[in-house]
Amino acid sequence: MRALYTAATGMAAQELNVQVISNNIANMRTTGYKKQRAAFQDLIYDHVRRIGAQASDQGTILPVGIDIGGGVKTVGTPRLMGQGTLSPTGNDLDIAVRGEGMFKIQMPDGTFAYTRDGSFTTDQQGRIVNAQGNLLQPTITIPQNSSGITINTQGQVSVTLPGSTTPSILGQISLTRFMNKAGLQPIGDNLFTETPASGPPQDGIATLDGYGDIQQRNLEQANVEVVSEISDLIAAQRAYEMNAKIISAADQMLQSTANMFR
Amino acid sequence: MENNLLIGLSRQVSLERQLDVVANNVANINTNGFKADQSLFEEYLMSGAHQDNFIGRDRRVSFVQDRATFHDLSQGPTQETHNPLDVAIDGNAFLVVQTPGGERYTRDGSLQVNSAGQLVTAGGYPVMGANGPITLQQTDHDVTISADGTITVLEGADTRIDSVRGKLRLVSFADPQKLVKDGSNLFSAAAGVAPQADTAARVKQGFIEKSNVNAVAEMSRMIEVNRAYTQVTAMLQQQSDLRKSAIEKLADVPA
Repeated sequence: MRALYTAATGMAAQELNVQVISNNIANMRTTGYKKQRAAFQDLIYDHVRRIGAQASDQGTILPVGIDIGGGVKTVGTPRLMGQGTLSPTGNDLDIAVRGEGMFKIQMPDGTFAYTRDGSFTTDQQGRIVNAQGNLLQPTITIPQNSSGITINTQGQVSVTLPGSTTPSILGQISLTRFMNKAGLQPIGDNLFTETPASGPPQDGIATLDGYGDIQQRNLEQANVEVVSEISDLIAAQRAYEMNAKIISAADQMLQSTANMFR
Repeated sequence: MENNLLIGLSRQVSLERQLDVVANNVANINTNGFKADQSLFEEYLMSGAHQDNFIGRDRRVSFVQDRATFHDLSQGPTQETHNPLDVAIDGNAFLVVQTPGGERYTRDGSLQVNSAGQLVTAGGYPVMGANGPITLQQTDHDVTISADGTITVLEGADTRIDSVRGKLRLVSFADPQKLVKDGSNLFSAAAGVAPQADTAARVKQGFIEKSNVNAVAEMSRMIEVNRAYTQVTAMLQQQSDLRKSAIEKLADVPA
């Protein structure tokens, strides 16, 4: 009985849907997190009676056919890269991007990763690093005893050095864009890496060409909307239950067949 | 004598297939742009030997067989997603998708951008505009899709002037029942079914059309199928018991 397997694909899809939703809810307070969504498609159909087939030698054709579907498949879990709300933190090295750009981080193995999480600190040498201690690109070193770190909307970092009254510029934080941000590979720690689907990274400067502007003393919150996640969760749970009901209905039918003749 | 068994079997086979259709609908209850299927049945009169000359004529035996499945093409509910690349179509139109096998049609408006900047479906096939695939440029941002499907963006540092990137091609069919489901949320048109440009349909950006499967109706249909199947089984069982006792009684040779 095909219905058993069809309903099983439905249960598997809803299980994955609940996983995606629960990951979104778990990360609702993760800085720079972008929510995911499970995308489903119907499986192939068995065309038992093909529509438009010849019905007689008089040239009449079947106006409708018999198409039996085989269930559902998950086609992907695309990430929705919409802007998260900015929340002020008051911390000098908390920066958020309002726009398309991402921060570029150098990983310990020399490769680059990209993030929307702008909660940076300095390491023992005064270099700006992310929470894992990886360097923000280009590397900017904040001298000891300097004060008044200012990062403007273009990403220029300036400080006031001891014995000076005017701020001096230390460097400029660059931003990176991708043609298809949803195609980036998440590697955990709020980081993403380039893939063939994302397109090559395009480095640029904040405020230009749609890279967005940089907001100091702000962090970008996750773009998860709890209300819609919870309603999606309820829908997924009910859909799972209904698929389970189909399985038990098919089971009952098979059982009654098995008990038909004593 | 054996007709009742075979008639019961014809009903059971058609009920099984109806449950398959219900199962596919329920499995796709969260599939964007999915259109539910429904089964149609018809009577099949057996053309066997029968004698019509008696006063009480022989009744012809009729079986049941499934005639067709048809698409319920009603509008599914739309959900607001705030995602600029999600479009729901208000009306009868379909989006046109370019696949390796030719043009296909879909109601699933969860669009993506691929690495070349083309607007694609979740399956990665380009969505056709009025003049071919729609391509966004590297510096484009703030994509706006208007009600008639025109796609405009802000380009580069510009924050005021819209640049047009194309217009979604919307088509509808005189007889949409002739569309064939291809899987992957795609419909294909049978030979002789030509798409016509649809100007009445409206595109809603930031919304997605959900599956139009009616959960309550599918669940009650499932119970109906299940009960009908059990009833046929019980009927066949009674017939079997009848035959069994007939054999026992009639063949009971007194010793």
